[in-house]
Formats: sequence, C-alpha cells, structure tokens
Amino acid sequence: MDMVLLLQRVFDALFNSAIYSSLALALVIIFRSTGLLNFAQGEMATFSAYVAFVLLSGAAPGVTGGGLASWIGAPLIAPLAIAGAIIFGVAAGAATERVLIRPLRGAPELALVNVTIGILLALNSLMGQWWGTGPRVFPPIFPSGADDHFAIGGARLRFSTVGAWMILIVLLVLLALLLQRTRAGLAFRAVSIDPVSAELSGIRVGPTLMYGWALAAGLGAIAANISANSVLLEPTMMVRVLVYAFAAATLGGLDSPKGALIGGVIIGLSQTLIPAYVPFIGFELSVLPAMLAMVGVLIVRPAGLFGTQRIERV
Amino acid sequence: MSDDDWPTPLPHPDDDEVSGADASVLSVFAPESETSAGPAVEAVEASSEHISAPPPTGSASESALAATVEPLVGATSPSGTARRRRAGPLTWIGAILLLAWLVAVPFMSTVTELRQNTQLVVMVLAVLGVNIATGYGGMISLGHGVFVALGAFGAAYAADDLSLPWIVSIVAGAVVAGVAGGVIGLPALRIKGIHLALVTLGLAIVFQPLSKRFPAFTGGVSGRAVGAELTPPDWFGTTRWAEGLYRYLVCLAIVALAMWLTYNIINSRPGRAMRALRDNDTAAAVYGVNLVTTRVTTFAVSASLAGLAGALGIILVPFTSQESFPFQESLVLYAMAVLGGLGSLWGSVLGVAIREVFSWLGELLGGVSGLGPISEFLSLLDEEHFVFGVILIALTFVFPRGLIGLFRPRRRGQD
Repeated sequence: MDMVLLLQRVFDALFNSAIYSSLALALVIIFRSTGLLNFAQGEMATFSAYVAFVLLSGAAPGVTGGGLASWIGAPLIAPLAIAGAIIFGVAAGAATERVLIRPLRGAPELALVNVTIGILLALNSLMGQWWGTGPRVFPPIFPSGADDHFAIGGARLRFSTVGAWMILIVLLVLLALLLQRTRAGLAFRAVSIDPVSAELSGIRVGPTLMYGWALAAGLGAIAANISANSVLLEPTMMVRVLVYAFAAATLGGLDSPKGALIGGVIIGLSQTLIPAYVPFIGFELSVLPAMLAMVGVLIVRPAGLFGTQRIERV
Repeated sequence: MSDDDWPTPLPHPDDDEVSGADASVLSVFAPESETSAGPAVEAVEASSEHISAPPPTGSASESALAATVEPLVGATSPSGTARRRRAGPLTWIGAILLLAWLVAVPFMSTVTELRQNTQLVVMVLAVLGVNIATGYGGMISLGHGVFVALGAFGAAYAADDLSLPWIVSIVAGAVVAGVAGGVIGLPALRIKGIHLALVTLGLAIVFQPLSKRFPAFTGGVSGRAVGAELTPPDWFGTTRWAEGLYRYLVCLAIVALAMWLTYNIINSRPGRAMRALRDNDTAAAVYGVNLVTTRVTTFAVSASLAGLAGALGIILVPFTSQESFPFQESLVLYAMAVLGGLGSLWGSVLGVAIREVFSWLGELLGGVSGLGPISEFLSLLDEEHFVFGVILIALTFVFPRGLIGLFRPRRRGQD
C-alpha cells in the first residue's frame, strides 16, 4: 500500500471530517435539549451561506448590483460577509425555535417531523427559485491556492483543512466554556437532562431552548460557509452532507457532543478511504458506508459509542 | 398549548369506517384461553367492521382487561351501544365530485391532459403506500419515492429485458418494491419513530447515486426507455385518444382493485394488528400480535402499493430515470399523505386532489406579472416543493389530523 497516498487521503478526509463534526454537533445540541432531529439543519446552513453570497455580490432576488464590495475595501469583504451570514443564521435559528417549535411542546413526534421536513422542502425550493439550482462560486475563507499547504511526509495538508479544524476546536472550547462556566449553560444542561424539573426550579425552558437552536444554527452556518468554497454553493449542497452528519451523530451517540466530534472524524475518513480501497463501492456509493453505519448503529446499539443508554419502561 | 390538544402517539388517525375500532383494536387480541373474556372477544370477531365492541364488564379479569385497553387507545364507545358512522353532507359532496371527475375527465381532456390526469389517479396508490406505513403502521416513512422508483424500474426490466406481458410486468414491479420494502422494513423492527424517519430520509437521499451505480437495472444516468407499450385491442379504437382512454381505464381499474384490497386488509385482523402495534407495541405483543411479521408485512404492503404506482407510471410514459425520483419527491408524497389525513384511505385520495388544486392555483397565480415584489412572491406559489413545505408546516398547526378531519365529526374523547 502506498503510504504517502494513504496519508494524503487522510489529510483530504480531515477537511470533510471537520464539516461533519460541526454539523453533527449542531444536531446533537438540538437533539439533547428537545429530543428532536432537525432535518432542516442542512438547508438552514445552506441558506446562511447564500446570505454571505448575497452580502458579497448583492445577488438578492430583486436586487441588482451593490453588495458589500461597493462600499468596503476588497480584502475585508469576505470575512465580513461570512460574519454577517453567521449572525443571520443564529438569529434565524432562534426565530425558528420561537415561532415554529415552541408552540409544539408536548406535541407528538410526528408534528415535529412534519415541521422540520416542511422547512427542509420550503427552504430548498426557495433557494433554487431565488438563486438558481446551478452551483455558484464562493470565496475561500482560507488561502487555498496550489501552494497553500504544509508538506508532511510527502503528503499535502492544506491550509483550509488546518483552518477548518482550528475554527472547530475554538468553537468546541467556547462551547465547553459556555456550557460549563455560565449560568445560561447551566440552565441549558438542566433543561437537556429534565425539562420538567428544570422548569419547576425556575428555569425558563423556552428561552433556554431558543439559545440552543441559535447555537446549533450558528454552528451549521459556520460549517456551510467553510465548505461552500470547496463543494460550490448550490441549494442541495448540504443534503448529502446532512446524511453524513446524521451518520456521525448517530455513530457517536445522538446526545453526546464528544460522540459527534469523533463520529464526524470516523465518517469523514470512511467516506474517503472506503471507496478508495474497496473498488465495488467506488466514488458514487461513497455515501453508502455512512448510511450502513447509521442503520447498523441504530439497530445494534441505538445509544451509539458515547450516548446514554435508554431503558424503556413498559 | 397544553398536552391535551394532542391526541396520542400520532395525530390520531381516523381509522376508516371503523367507528369505535380504536376501542376494540386491542381487545380483539385478547388471549383465547382467558375464558371470561371469551364471549366479548367473539362478539368483536363476529361483529362487522362498523360495530364497536361492547367493553367487557363483569368479572374482575374482564374489567382488568378493559382497564388495560382503555387508557391505551383513548376513546371508547358508550357501554354496550353499537355506533355507525353516518356520512355527513361534505362526504356526499366529496364522493359526487370525485365520481363526476372520474367520469368526465376522459371527455374533457386532450391526449396529454388525459395522461397527466391518469398519473394523478395512479399517484393515489403511492400516497396510500406512505399512509399505510405512517398512518396505519406508525412507521414514519420519508422515502417512499424509492419504492415508486423500484416499481418503475422493476416493471421496465420485466417488460423489456424479460419480455413479459404488461400485466405480469406491473405485478413484477409491485413485487420488486414489496420485497425491497420488506427488507427495508427489517430495520424498522428495532428503529422507531423519529429514527426511522431519519433512516428513510437517508434512503431517499442515497437512492439517486445508488441507482446510477446499477445501470443494467435503472438505465444509469440517462434512464431507460421501455419498448413494449400497452395498446388497446382493435375494437377499442386506434386513435391516440382511444389509446389514452384505454390506459386510463386500465389504471383506474387497477387502482380501484388495489384500494379495495387495501381496505379489506385494513379492516381485518392484519389491519387491526397494525394499528394495535402503532398505538402501543408492547401491549399489542402481549395480546399475541406477532411484532416481526406485522411490521415487515406492513412495510412490504405499503412499499408494494408505491411500487404499483411506479409500475403503472411506466404504462403511461414508457420511460423512467433516476432523475424523476429526487428525495424531494418522496417528501412531497409524505406531505400529501399528511395533508389528506394519516390513517384514512380516502385521505390519500384527498391529498392527491388537493395537490392538483394547489398546482392549478399555483399556475394561475404564478403567472401574474407586473406587480413587482408581489409577483416575485406569487411565482413561488408555482414551486410545488415550496408550497408543500409551507403546507406541511401550516397543517401541523391548523389541521393536525389532516384535511380528512373536516369530513369527520370529531369523536368523543378525541382532541
């Protein structure tokens, strides 16, 4: 086996791993607190990336020209636009919880599935209608020229991969601090463990969950903005990514942030390495191992690697 | 909004024409050996689908049985009285409109329109498939488009590569989808609720790349054309309109037959087993419902209905490709089932009818131009996926039981 090639593949996979980990983390945050799988997470993230795109190019529906470029110096615009998009994502996530999810407290699972699937369908179609279904060029966040890489053992570790991981690690540290060291974080943990008891001890459950949604949507927005350059921006950009992220979250345990991170790394590696070394699977079926992993974990060990085992009361 | 606004596990499905069936669903499976409950059980078995079971009263074991059943299923009918659901005026209007449409449509359509309308009729089966799994079986399926596709590919393969007669090919399509449904139903034994929704959504997303990988069966990226076409016998006429009419009648007959079979399945023991599992699988298993066979059969039946829809699609348009089955199509099928009303046979018909109304409205309003931003908004109404997404959200808040709820008086103890 060609070790350099293997190393190269691992390096390439790590970029995807970072994306899957952050999206899986977003899914886990919402699942932990509300017991809900947010099927619309991917589309909400993609929409944020389009917001960055609009801020950059002024290509909003019905708006021509303009954009940040016309009134801010050129080198600054990409980070500013992306920051704007993330703020938008956070606000939209909070609004979604407030308007669509909170009124459904106590509703059966099916109602929540319907709402998140509805958001998925509507946003996906809306983006296609407003910005076209074709791919759009998105500016890179990190230097991504041909020479922008570290050479390690003959393989190239690209700056974008390192950058994505740096962002992810910073986010994880911030998240851990937020959850462990602040009052809001304490409230959030309490609500995640037992909403009824939390409410009885004076925690306002609704707003707390809203922070969770805002946080998750922000994570998704960051993931989408990081990956939009390499996969090209299009309405279905995050659809397959969502399958990988769900597989990662399931593998790690749907209520375990640590599991989301590790699951993301494993799924990212398997997506690149399995098709490379198992010819039958090939590039087109690269999503298959993730899918099988998801189904297998749900059947054999629904709690995943690090999740809480649930015992059903009869 | 309090918990009371929500019926138990799913927005409580109106089980078709089985008034009070909820109360009797579990009691039907009371073990025969429990002699004191015997007469009550026999009464239920003997009664027609329209008559609800008198809740057993009397001995201690019987009231224990009643106590187990009642909290599980919610509404019970007043003791000892049999109720029959009367058709309300809306039901009559709906039935007459449907019949009138079915009769009038061949005479009012051009050849192309007739084909599109036949596709609508066929779509009822696909929606019904989703409904069987989700509404009756309690297994949320977001991936039934996959079974429609498998039915289409299966029928195309049988008709073309195996040169089977068309009727056999159609059945083959349904069987292929049904077998796939059974296999995919296996994980559903362990995976429930929202996790099953996740797996089926994943399936819908993975299907396109997967089908490109097997070009011999699916025609790969470009799809496959079907050589053998269904043509009417000579006496029927040879014009293109007569051809269309013939196909319309064939599809209508098959759809009607499939619906009749489904109705009978739903209102017999397997159907009651399905609903019992949906409402409380542990209790149903205790009463002797075989969890494995019931779940797998439910999924297989629901998938084969969807497959039949796909296979009939081949008759109408002799071409199929993975392009026609993006994951959004599966979600729209699901949305139609929810829109019409889960757990209701006619709800599926209603779902398809409403889709047509919306698509007509969308075309009408979407074409309005010259109103600036309003036109921009109106043109979105012509985007089916967008409209169905919004409908799914709105429906959850406005009509949690689906539109079929409008046709049904609310039963005591519900909502």
